[in-house]
Amino acid sequence: MAGKGAAVASRVLGRGGGTSLPGMVARRVDPTILASLVAAQNIPVVAVTGSNGKTTTARFTAALIRAAGYPVDHNRAGANLVQGVTSLAVGAADLRGRTPRRVMVIEIDEGALPLLVEELKPSAVLVTDLFRDQLDRYGEIYAVADAFEAVARGLGSDCALCVNADDPIVAGLGAGHAGRRVTFGLDLDHDTDRITRAADTIRCPRCRADLVYDHVYLSHMGAWHCPSCGLARPAVDVAVTALEVDGLDATRFHVRTPVGDLDISVPQSGVHIAYDAAAAIAISIGLGVPLEHAAAALATVGPAFGRLERIVAGDRRIVLGFAKNPTSFNTTLRALATEGLPRQLLVAASNTLVDGEDFAWLWDVDFEAAAPNVERVTVSGLRADELANRLKYAGVDPARMTVVRDRPAALDAALAGIEPGGTLTVLAGYTPTIELREEMRKRGWVGPYWEV
Amino acid sequence: MTTTLEAPTAPMQGDWPTLRIAHLYPSLLNVAGDGGNLMAIQQRCAWRGIPTLAVSIDAGDRPDFSTFDIVLFHGGQDVEMEIVAADLGLKAPSLREAADQGVVIFAVCAGLQLLGARYVPSDGPPMEGAAVLDLETRGGPQRFMQHAAVDVTIDGRRGTIVGFENHSGQTELGPDAQPLGMMIAGAGNNGRDGTEGAVRGHVYATYLHGPVLPKNPWLADQLIRIALERRLGRPVELEPLDDSVEQHAHDVALQKALRNRGQRTALEPARLVRDKAPQTVG
Repeated sequence: MAGKGAAVASRVLGRGGGTSLPGMVARRVDPTILASLVAAQNIPVVAVTGSNGKTTTARFTAALIRAAGYPVDHNRAGANLVQGVTSLAVGAADLRGRTPRRVMVIEIDEGALPLLVEELKPSAVLVTDLFRDQLDRYGEIYAVADAFEAVARGLGSDCALCVNADDPIVAGLGAGHAGRRVTFGLDLDHDTDRITRAADTIRCPRCRADLVYDHVYLSHMGAWHCPSCGLARPAVDVAVTALEVDGLDATRFHVRTPVGDLDISVPQSGVHIAYDAAAAIAISIGLGVPLEHAAAALATVGPAFGRLERIVAGDRRIVLGFAKNPTSFNTTLRALATEGLPRQLLVAASNTLVDGEDFAWLWDVDFEAAAPNVERVTVSGLRADELANRLKYAGVDPARMTVVRDRPAALDAALAGIEPGGTLTVLAGYTPTIELREEMRKRGWVGPYWEV
Repeated sequence: MTTTLEAPTAPMQGDWPTLRIAHLYPSLLNVAGDGGNLMAIQQRCAWRGIPTLAVSIDAGDRPDFSTFDIVLFHGGQDVEMEIVAADLGLKAPSLREAADQGVVIFAVCAGLQLLGARYVPSDGPPMEGAAVLDLETRGGPQRFMQHAAVDVTIDGRRGTIVGFENHSGQTELGPDAQPLGMMIAGAGNNGRDGTEGAVRGHVYATYLHGPVLPKNPWLADQLIRIALERRLGRPVELEPLDDSVEQHAHDVALQKALRNRGQRTALEPARLVRDKAPQTVG
């Protein structure tokens, strides 16, 4: 059966490496196809989940495993729901349903994790962090944490579990796990962020008292402890002990690990990039993958599509920043600020199945910090209305705003106001990022997003 | 009690008093953009030269609410609701006194539920409310999660308020509470009787969660106007503002709500949500 599903699905492959379509077709033909192609054939799988940082962490992980000499398959286009992951497996298998023995590095949507862990039987599971994201899709943050804990409890002792020690609600996941458990985080002697209104878990996961932070590193992530019950951040196995963000193009940091220290420089920008790299190193240690070539491997990993991706658009420049929730918006704005806050903006939000329906969270984004620098902003997407209203209350003069719901037209309108040599900064949700990037691909400015 | 937000600077226009706004439990009750309501009140005042002062009221604080002009009581998840409910007893007598004296209180979602007599979740012990409003809420079997629109009349002015509801609590109003309005689209208090929210005097509560005031500017202005009239003891007319951006956001949300009319939910919730429906959001 697996062969038949794979054969049918392969006919719809090739329309674009990023689509969920082959997986959807294959599951119709054979609902057990993913388990047949992966778990039943003992294919090693690394599952990366969490609210933010999945795509970048998975890219770093794939690079580290490849550098150690193992071939890797990776859903780098970010198709991280059940159908997208099935597409990856189908694409890897031959027409008889035999899967080559390569490591699958797979990012997984939080909601899809329980089912996919069941079908994939991963060798390592990593949780990046847990932020409030799309209440209308996932429900409360605590429900997501409960689902993660149930998954962690079901993992076999041959599966490595890697968790973010700095995220209070994630740090304790799978505390009783019988297999290898590796924590990662930052261990700096200074703050790199402050608690904002986007922060979620600033209460003790055990007794609910307000947590105390010796240092805040990114939103609610940091060196935390509970003054009431004594619960504290666990020992950090893979710890970033020095960190320097150098504009949009480089982040340099020192990592302490149980198997030796590493000096890393990555061609991407931000504190979150150090978290993602530490996470990938934690997975390598969990799997027993050697790290001799780790620094060289990570130095080659540029931004995933739309993660502050620099694009040359004729005689103008674009920085494309994908942002999907308050924390990723604020993190992206903070990274942009290292080179001066943007003056020419295109901001887009759309309600879709993957982007959600309720955009109340836009009011938690710290647009106030960016508003004084804005000279001109083009507002686009199906929820341009809500976005424009949010920007107005953040202090952007409506006279500086143009609403163009259509994405390609918005791109034209935004670029038209920019001098040759100038830069347009784009901040967009998942679907508008894909749409805007596709428009840029048609214009020959970038390659397909699944090849970045 | 700590002062967190200064009013945005604005040209002083004569004799407006400083509107004092109590922001209840700002770190506990901010499940999704709830701070937008404070922004709407403060900005709309600032644009008219009306000074404002927002004061954060946290757990453990025991302010005299009658010294405020507007009290904001927002939404939270179950865990935060429990923490708030455990603290609310300290504040309830002063909140009731303030309500009796005509202080404007605006509550959304969990705030609505906790202004009532009690909230009984599907699993877990009942929580005592502040008993400012004559209503009671029980956790229901289904979650109402959709765009919604309500026909509301406040102080003689009729309008539509639009937003997103996300709650499984089902609220019944007692004889001393009136509904804030009647549903045009959406579930409202309980999905059965067509009522939405509650009102008593100057206490207004709605299930439309999060940032409901920014895209219902007429409602924000009614709250500001009523609060100023009470403070000044005379009728107040607010200077009209250019609300074209707000009105557009309102109209798009209204269209979304109308398109969803007749459906129980506007979208298919994720599997996770179906498997373990949490009690309250917003």
